Amino acid sequence: MHFALPPRKTSQPPPYIPRASRLPGLRRTRFKLIALVGLALLALIYVITRSNNSQHAAPNTHAPRGNPPVVLVTVLDAAKYSKAYLETVRENRINYAEKHGYQTLFAKIGDYSLNGSPGSWTTVVAARDALTKYPDCRYVWYLDASGFVMNPALKVEEHVMQPARLDELMKKDMPVVPPDSIIKTFSHLKGQDVELVLTQDKEGLSAGSFILRNGEWARFFLETWFAPIYRSYNFQKAEVHALEHIVQWHPTILSRMAIVDQRLINAYNKGVRGEEYKDGDLIVRFPDCAAADAQACETESQSFVQASRRAFASS
Amino acid sequence: MSLSRSPSPVPGGGWASPGLNLSSGQSSPRLSGTPVMWGSARQKRGGGGGGAGYPSFSTRNQGFFGRHMRRLSSSLPRFSTSPHYAEKEKLGRGRWSVHHLPLLGRIRGIMARMGRKMKIRLLILLMILLPIYVFYHSPLVFYWRRSPWLGGGKKFVIILGANVGGGVMDWKGAREWAIERDSLRNKKKYVARWGYELEIVDMSTKKRYAHEWRESWEKVDFLRTALRKYPEAEWFWWLDLNTFIMEPTYSLQAHIFDDLEKNVYRDINEYNPLNISHPFTDPYLDAESQSPIGDGKAGSINLVLSQDCSGFNLGSFFVRRSEWTDRLLDVWWDPVAYEQKHMEWAHKEQDALEQLYIAQPWIRKHTAFLPQRMINSFPSGACAEHGNDARIHYHEKDRDFLVNMAGCEWGRDCWGEMYNFRELSYYLNRSWWERFKEDFLALIWFKLTGQRVKF
Repeated sequence: MHFALPPRKTSQPPPYIPRASRLPGLRRTRFKLIALVGLALLALIYVITRSNNSQHAAPNTHAPRGNPPVVLVTVLDAAKYSKAYLETVRENRINYAEKHGYQTLFAKIGDYSLNGSPGSWTTVVAARDALTKYPDCRYVWYLDASGFVMNPALKVEEHVMQPARLDELMKKDMPVVPPDSIIKTFSHLKGQDVELVLTQDKEGLSAGSFILRNGEWARFFLETWFAPIYRSYNFQKAEVHALEHIVQWHPTILSRMAIVDQRLINAYNKGVRGEEYKDGDLIVRFPDCAAADAQACETESQSFVQASRRAFASS
Repeated sequence: MSLSRSPSPVPGGGWASPGLNLSSGQSSPRLSGTPVMWGSARQKRGGGGGGAGYPSFSTRNQGFFGRHMRRLSSSLPRFSTSPHYAEKEKLGRGRWSVHHLPLLGRIRGIMARMGRKMKIRLLILLMILLPIYVFYHSPLVFYWRRSPWLGGGKKFVIILGANVGGGVMDWKGAREWAIERDSLRNKKKYVARWGYELEIVDMSTKKRYAHEWRESWEKVDFLRTALRKYPEAEWFWWLDLNTFIMEPTYSLQAHIFDDLEKNVYRDINEYNPLNISHPFTDPYLDAESQSPIGDGKAGSINLVLSQDCSGFNLGSFFVRRSEWTDRLLDVWWDPVAYEQKHMEWAHKEQDALEQLYIAQPWIRKHTAFLPQRMINSFPSGACAEHGNDARIHYHEKDRDFLVNMAGCEWGRDCWGEMYNFRELSYYLNRSWWERFKEDFLALIWFKLTGQRVKF
């Protein structure tokens, strides 16, 4: 029987062809490889996003938009000042606010419950109230009823509160309470970190005119200042001494506070207790008039009110 | 032939100095047995056919082993007997010759020779063994848990107030030392397991402050120090010494912080032993301050604590790094408050915090409470006036996280409580093998023989 013979091998073998890739198996498993790498990438992304989720985002504090830029706060104490005088104060504030697009907030003693503390504490609550009523304001400026705006051309947010300007203005490494307090203002404070600007007269810190930047710190500061534990303590000058106390004992407050020259926002009409007003200054205050007698403020302020009215009329 | 016995034959006859001819090296044959006669040697050399004049009775290069011995033996694995095994000149010699093959190639070779079934079996085995190794034995898991962006363990610092009563008071006895040892070990183990930081602080009474009345308010200062010391950490957990972590398998993240918003209650009216009127209603406050829950988001929580039967309890509480916390730690201690209240405030910083919480909206907005038994269960001896309270007291069925033996130093047995809870914690957290031995094998043995055994 014949079987078909297998074909003969050619005696000229085809030339040796080197294989296309070094690892022939790779081509088939390439898809697997890609899938694996993709999976690993997905896992990595999952891990990263998961860990990001577990990080709690910082509380997004409300950023004030600056509308109005400044709220002028004044406590009108009818027991200390005559009605006519308070009317001139109110008129002065409203004129100034209208000129620069500010808002005003007038509070009376008794508007807020103080649980029997001295009426002067209304200052602090009124400032806190301004933060609530104008959550978008940039600054709250408390100006006591014993003061008048004398130079309507100056805007307080530019004249005082600009960080670059504050860098020049603030007094560094200076005893907080004048003669020789061992607590001194911070020497490395930057203008942009300042949340509170106030002044010093010859006796100590003055709470008659201070500017607060709206924010969480301002709320913390005012609420701490207003703490019942300080109100129930018999500070000789109530809120002013409480302020001096918290500033000296609590560095989180001191580290955000700048003391500026008195004439910037708190010039006095007489140079006995502090720096004296000179023409062109923003503010004049009559620190002693309310203590003297009922009409003293009116008479003391007479000439300044006239000058102020002229200034507003001409600007 | 007398000449054939001569010790030093020279091919050409006659005598010469030894060692100066062709075969002088081989002149004293080492082949054992019969002495080699000059004649036979001469014959062999002549008839060897090599004709090159080499001696043919050499012991070297004889047979397969002789010829390949060196190559074979140097390819065998060798155990280094020399203490300096990394001697420079020997490096790379005497290793497996197969080492010179690329690893990949060898593995591929093995894989190619392996059956498909075998491969799958091996793969399954690997898939079982690898996780066991990774999750139970490798240090990898520790670093994973510790790293801030994976496990996040570095974000948590446990501050343990140790050495209570040490220092100048010095009333620490053997039991106090034992308590301290147990409590410390418990925290250390927990921290090692989850990759947290542990800061042990010295609460001993010292003359530290110029105004001595500040003594025992150190919690605040230690927290501030820790905030500086661990700049990467986010949450700081204060623990008193008389605490015991009953369930070390709970991580803080899973137990509390992954879902902080759900775990806490911010409206204190939910449980209000102090009868604090909440929320504030003063009209001069903004909506957030008047809201019972602040802004309601987990991101605004900066202080997490729990309340026991008589109000706030600071035996176990958390603070988060934030400006708010700096402020709180700053105003917590105030000389004016101290002067007015130090006679009333038996619990010092605890009462001061209550006072702050009651009076100040900015504190309330960022404070949250955890149900007490999540972080601060009491043993039945504490808060015992009204019997057991499901809100306050530890129950092993619920596997509470932590026990705080609060107030045990006043008339209770601190060490006894600590010991019991330690044993209970070990018992509750036995491994499956221990359970098998104790609950199954020992039980069977007991049924069979009536004897209790301990494996």
